[in-house]
Amino acid sequence: MSNNVYGMKCSSCGTVSYPKHAVCPKCRNEKFEDVVIGGEGKVLTYTDAYALAIEYETRFLRLAIVELDDGIRVTGQLLADTPKMGMRVKTTIGTVRENGETAIQGLQFVSA
Amino acid sequence: MNPVYIAGAGMTCFGRSEWPLMQLASVASLAALKHANLGDIPVDGVVVANMGAARVNKQTALGSALVDQLALYPAAAESVENGPASGASAVKVGFQAIASGMADVVLVTGVERMRVVNGLEGTDFVASLSHPVAEYIYGVTLPSLAGMFARLVMDKFGVERKHLAMVAIKNHANGAKNPYAHIQQTVTMEGILTLPEAAVNNPPIAEPLHMFDCCPVSDGAASVVLVSEAVAAKLGGPKVRIAGIGQATDTHAVHEREDPTDLKAVRIAAAKAFDRAGLKPGDVDVAELHDAFTILEIAESEASGFFPRGEGHKALERGETQLDGSLPINPSGGLKAKGHPVGATGVAQLVELTWQLRGECAARQVKDAKVAYACNFGGFGNNVVASVLQREA
Repeated sequence: MSNNVYGMKCSSCGTVSYPKHAVCPKCRNEKFEDVVIGGEGKVLTYTDAYALAIEYETRFLRLAIVELDDGIRVTGQLLADTPKMGMRVKTTIGTVRENGETAIQGLQFVSA
Repeated sequence: MNPVYIAGAGMTCFGRSEWPLMQLASVASLAALKHANLGDIPVDGVVVANMGAARVNKQTALGSALVDQLALYPAAAESVENGPASGASAVKVGFQAIASGMADVVLVTGVERMRVVNGLEGTDFVASLSHPVAEYIYGVTLPSLAGMFARLVMDKFGVERKHLAMVAIKNHANGAKNPYAHIQQTVTMEGILTLPEAAVNNPPIAEPLHMFDCCPVSDGAASVVLVSEAVAAKLGGPKVRIAGIGQATDTHAVHEREDPTDLKAVRIAAAKAFDRAGLKPGDVDVAELHDAFTILEIAESEASGFFPRGEGHKALERGETQLDGSLPINPSGGLKAKGHPVGATGVAQLVELTWQLRGECAARQVKDAKVAYACNFGGFGNNVVASVLQREA
């Protein structure tokens, strides 16, 4: 299995949704194909979160919502030293959480 | 629908408790039952609101457990888990039972005992309500969603950290007048924002939100006794009617919302509640809003219809939402100072408002309150229950 993050593209109206739903949120069609989510975009908002869940050993986690150039929005980890709203970033895939022995892969954002 | 009244309301003190889960629930329930003074009128149903007992207390089927504690058999019983909106959802279930004619008396109790686990485990348990694949795996927590939301709202509408501090200062001042509040300490702008020491007193939790922008983690329970019109007439005394309840949902992942600064579910839930009540936001004398984070009180005050969009912080700045203002918000201290035992919160909001409408709030009493409003904000705004209460003669 690849490490890509996938959304869904409705086979009827073409709407791309992320995360996936059981039906297309626009037209309720139940047929879709997987599409890889990622690329370049801009930081819509971000935070440095200090109150973390159990698996993290870092002091804080920099999280962001990014609006990709294709209009899709994603939540992920921002790996930029001087974050700013509106800054250009591109997505990469990396380990975003460790659950015991399992390293969970997901979206990270680096300066574009 | 048949009219539904709140005949009694009670709660435990919020804070860190050594009491087991069911003792918290029982103490609040007995206080509410005593307040209602039912005499020999039987309780037909019990609804318990809770979010985390299955995980943090290793206990399930709380409705049945509470019936047993209170020896209310053979009353109907159920448990409601609806994230942070569990409390008002449970009240809605009780309301529906009476409004439909299926029951005459329903006890609704919200309870949470979450201090039994450490802070990280507690944060993680609440974070499990976020989208499992699109949010949770990244380390998203409720404070981090609130931080990202706050940054957007502050940028868009010119809300500053001083406005967030004003919410905290107001709610701590109110909480200091509430013997049930978790934190009974006033705070100042200097102490949490402007003096150099503020950096130590008020460390960041999820930038731009700091510790005094976030509610504490609390144990506690709150209860209301709901009754039909016939039972309310028999009981006599002050009559507080649930004039309208509205509920609405929104996307699970916050990033999927067309405008992530728009609390759409609050807007819709509030509009439904006011419509059903035949009342308007302008009729409200006192409100309890879900200020798990200070920014939420400001945003909910707008989305509920009290102030135009982007102007909640201006009304706050003018003092309109203070205890002696034109629309006092969170006279109880809100989640910020009263505390936030998650499943109990929605019920506790209605406990405060029932007491307010009965004129039983002593030092924090809002004068001549006749209409009250509560917003119980679940998820990060993806499931909201709004309620309007009205005092009848």
